[in-house]
Amino acid sequence: MGYVIRIKPKPIQPFVFVLAPLASFALAFLVGGALMLWAGVDPISGYSAFLQGSLTTFPGLMQTLIQATLFMLMGTGIAISNRAGVLNVGAEGQYIIGAILATYIAISYQQVLSPQLTLLLAMLAAMLGGALWAMIAGVLKGFMNVNEVVTTVILNWLAYRILQWIIRGPLRLPGPQLYPMSPPIAITLPVLEPSSGLNAGLIIALALAIFSYYLLFYTKAGFEIRVTGSNPELAKYAGFNVSKVIVLSMAYSGALAGIAGGVEVLGNLHYLFEGISIGLGYTSIIVSLVARDHPLGVIAASIMFGTIYSGSSFLQTATHLTYTFSKALEGLIYLFVLVTTLFAFYEIKLVKVK
Amino acid sequence: MSSSSCDVVVEMRNIVKKFPGVVANDNVSLKICRGEVLAILGENGAGKTTLMNILYGLYLPDEGSIYINGKRVIHASPKDAIKNGVGMVHQHFTLVDDLTVAENIVLGAEDFKVYYNPGKLIEKIREFMKDIGLYVEPSKKAYELSAGEKQKVEILKALYRRISVLILDEPTSVLSPIEVNELFKTIRRLKEKGISIVFISHKLDEVLEIADRIVVMRAGKIVGELARKDANVRLLASMMIGASGLSSIEEKFEKNTSTGRKLLEVIDLWVKGDRGEDAVKGVRLSVREGEIVGVAGVAGSGQKELAEAIYGLRPVKRGRIMFNEVEITGLPTVERIKLGISYIPEERVRYGVSLELPIYENIYLEKIHSEKSKRGLLEALGVSPLKKRVMLEYAQHVVNKFGVKTPSLTTVAGKLSGGNIQRLIVGRELERGPKLVIASEPTAGLDIAATNFVRRTLVDMSRRGVGVLLISSDLQEVLSLSHKVVVLCNGEVMGVVIPGEASIEDIGLMMTCSKKMSIEEVEKIWAM
Repeated sequence: MGYVIRIKPKPIQPFVFVLAPLASFALAFLVGGALMLWAGVDPISGYSAFLQGSLTTFPGLMQTLIQATLFMLMGTGIAISNRAGVLNVGAEGQYIIGAILATYIAISYQQVLSPQLTLLLAMLAAMLGGALWAMIAGVLKGFMNVNEVVTTVILNWLAYRILQWIIRGPLRLPGPQLYPMSPPIAITLPVLEPSSGLNAGLIIALALAIFSYYLLFYTKAGFEIRVTGSNPELAKYAGFNVSKVIVLSMAYSGALAGIAGGVEVLGNLHYLFEGISIGLGYTSIIVSLVARDHPLGVIAASIMFGTIYSGSSFLQTATHLTYTFSKALEGLIYLFVLVTTLFAFYEIKLVKVK
Repeated sequence: MSSSSCDVVVEMRNIVKKFPGVVANDNVSLKICRGEVLAILGENGAGKTTLMNILYGLYLPDEGSIYINGKRVIHASPKDAIKNGVGMVHQHFTLVDDLTVAENIVLGAEDFKVYYNPGKLIEKIREFMKDIGLYVEPSKKAYELSAGEKQKVEILKALYRRISVLILDEPTSVLSPIEVNELFKTIRRLKEKGISIVFISHKLDEVLEIADRIVVMRAGKIVGELARKDANVRLLASMMIGASGLSSIEEKFEKNTSTGRKLLEVIDLWVKGDRGEDAVKGVRLSVREGEIVGVAGVAGSGQKELAEAIYGLRPVKRGRIMFNEVEITGLPTVERIKLGISYIPEERVRYGVSLELPIYENIYLEKIHSEKSKRGLLEALGVSPLKKRVMLEYAQHVVNKFGVKTPSLTTVAGKLSGGNIQRLIVGRELERGPKLVIASEPTAGLDIAATNFVRRTLVDMSRRGVGVLLISSDLQEVLSLSHKVVVLCNGEVMGVVIPGEASIEDIGLMMTCSKKMSIEEVEKIWAM
C-alpha cells in the first residue's frame, strides 16, 4: 500500500471556468480579510466597500466595465499572439504609444476637423501606432529569431521614456502644473452612460474580442496562427509563411493594445500624463492566461479583473486603508487566481496504490 | 530458457490499464529473468509500450502489481523505477542537444553537481564507457550525433544509473542496418554482464535474431510465450496478427511498367546540413511519371537534406531542381505544394503533426492552400472562412481509408499512438492528389498490415502516373518497390542500380562508400 501524487493536464468542464475564479476570490478574500484585521479595518466593511466599488452599486459596476474594456482589448491581443507562439509582454508599451498618438492627433486636429473625423483619425493612429510598435519585436522575432520577451520589455521602457519626454516637450500644457501633462482633449468617444463616462470603447472591445474568436477558429489566418503556435516546424512544412504569421499576429496584438491606449485618452482621461502607464498591459497577460488564450474567455476574465481593479481601488476611498494596501490586496487576488487556474486546469491528486 | 525455472528479476502480476475507449493492458502477467533478452512482440497498439511504461513508472496501472526481486514495489515515476534498477530507452530520444555526451549521461543522476570540471567529467565518463564496452566520444555535443549514437548515449545514460533491467522500445526503428548490428552487439555484451534486456518490437526477423524468449501481445493480452528455439516467422506472425491476417504478410508487389515523361529532375544539387557541412554533394537524379525511385543509404547520408531541399524547407547551395520542366529551386514550400508535391517526413512528431490540434485539422493541413474563396478580398486578407464541414468530411474519409484509430475527429493528435500518427501523415500526404510523393521512411514504426497497406498505396499511385521518391533505410523495401535505386553515401551518389540486376553486396559496398560507379554507367541507367 502507498500513496503518490499525480499531476496531469485534464479536460476542462465548462463549470470549472466559473467555479475556479469564484474559489480564488473566496480564498483571496479570506487572506485579505486577515490582512485587514491586522491593519485595523473591519473586513466586513472593507469588503462591502470593495463590492460597492465594483459590483453592487451602479457607479461601481460602471467603473468595473470601464476597466474591463482596457483588459479586454489588451487581453484579446495577447491571446492572439500567444496562439501564434509569440509572447507579447509589450502590450504596456503599445498601449502607451497608442495613447500618445491618439492625443497628438486629437490635439492637432480638434480645432480643424469635425469631431467625428478627428476621433476616427485619432483611433486609427492609436491602432497603427500600437501595431507598428509591436511589429518591431515581431520582425526581430520572425526574421532574426530575437527573443520577443526581451525586445518587448525594452520597447515598453522606450515607450514610457517617449511618454515622459512628450508631455514635457511637444505636448506640454503650458503654465505651472501639478505634474507634467498634455493640453486637454476636447473631443470624446460616444458616451454610453453619462454619469460614469462609460463609452463606446466597451462596444469596440466586445466587437474585437468576438471578431478575434471568429478569426482564430473559423478563418484560414486563424488556422495558420494556431498551427504555427502549436508547432512551427509543422507550419513551415505545411507551406505557411511562419515569419509572416509571427509579424502579423504581433501587429494584431499591438493594434488592440494601441486601441486600448486610444480609448483611455479619448474616452476616459481626455488628456495625457505619465500615470496612464500603471501596468495594465502586464496585468492583461494574466487576463489572457486565465482565459487560456481564448478570446471569448478574455471577455469574462477581463470583467473579473475589472471587478478586482475597481473594487480594490475603491477600498482606499471608503476606508482608511492606503493605496499600497489596496494594491497589495489586488496583487493577492491575482496570485490566487493564478494558483487556482493551475489547480483547475491540471489534475493534482493523491492516489492510493494497492 | 523458460520463465518458470529462471532467476526472476521482475514480475508483473495481473496488470490492467485502461485508456478512454481502449483496454491497453488486459490482465497481463509477465516475468523477466536475470540476464535474458526478452522480446515483446506485437502490432502497433497491442499494448507492448504501455506495459513497459507501467514498469518504468510512466503510468500507474489501474490494477495489478509489480515485484522486483520478489519485493512488492510501486513505480509512481521513472525515478522510482531507476532506483529499483529498471531503465528504459524510448523511441524518441530525450537528450539535451546543447550538452555534451558526458553531461547528458550524468544529467539528473545523483552525483551531478552544479559546479564541476567538464574535462574531469569527460575523462570519468570515458572510463565508465570503457568499463561497459560501449563508446561514444563523450566530448561531442548531442546534436552532432547520429541516431545510432544517440541511442547508445541513451543506453549509457540508463547504465550509469546502475540498472539491471533495460527496456528498449522499438530500438531499431530509427537505425540503419549497420547500426542495428551494432545495437545487437551491444545487447549481447550487456546480457553477458547479467543485465536483462526487454526488446519491444514488431519486426519478426530481429526478434528471432536477438531474443532468448519471446512474448507475443495482441489487443492488450499476452497471446503466446515461447523460447527462441521453438519460434519461427510463420508461427510468430500468426500469433501476432491472428490467423486471419496471415495472408497479408510478405506481400509481393507488381511494379508499374509504363512510366511517362520526366517529372522531377535534380541537377548537381548541393545542400548544407544543420551544422553548415555539405550534406548533399552534387546529387543528380530524376523521377518520371509513374516511376518509383528509391534512395538507399546508411542513415545520415544526406537523405533528409535532399528531401527537404526538394520540398523547399532547406535552401539550396548550388544546383537546380526542376519539376515538369520548370525550375522550382527557389520557390517557397507553399508553391511546391500547389504544384502537387507531397512529403512524408522522417521525424513525424516533430514535423508531421501538431499534437495540440484536433485530428481533422491535422489532416486538412495543406489542403487549406487549394481552397479557392469566391470572396477575393477576404482571401487576400487571409480571413476567408474555413469550411469546417468540408474539413470534417475530408478527414473522415482519410481516417477511414488509412485506418487511423481514433475516438473522434476532434480528438487532439497527441492522444494517438505513434503508429496511428504515422497513418494520419501518410494518409494526408497521399490523399491530397499529389503528382510527386517524397516518402521518407514511410513505413518506419508501422506493423505488417499497415506497412503492406502503405506500400500497396504507393505502388497503386505510381500506376496512376504519380512519381515517388522513396527514401528508406529499409533496403528490402527500397529494392522491392523501386524501378531504380540511387545509392547515397556521405551525401554523394555512389551509383544507380536497377533492383534485381545489382547484387546486394555491390549495393552494400556503395552504401559504405567502398565502391563508386562510373559516370557512364550511371548515365546509362538514367537513360533507361
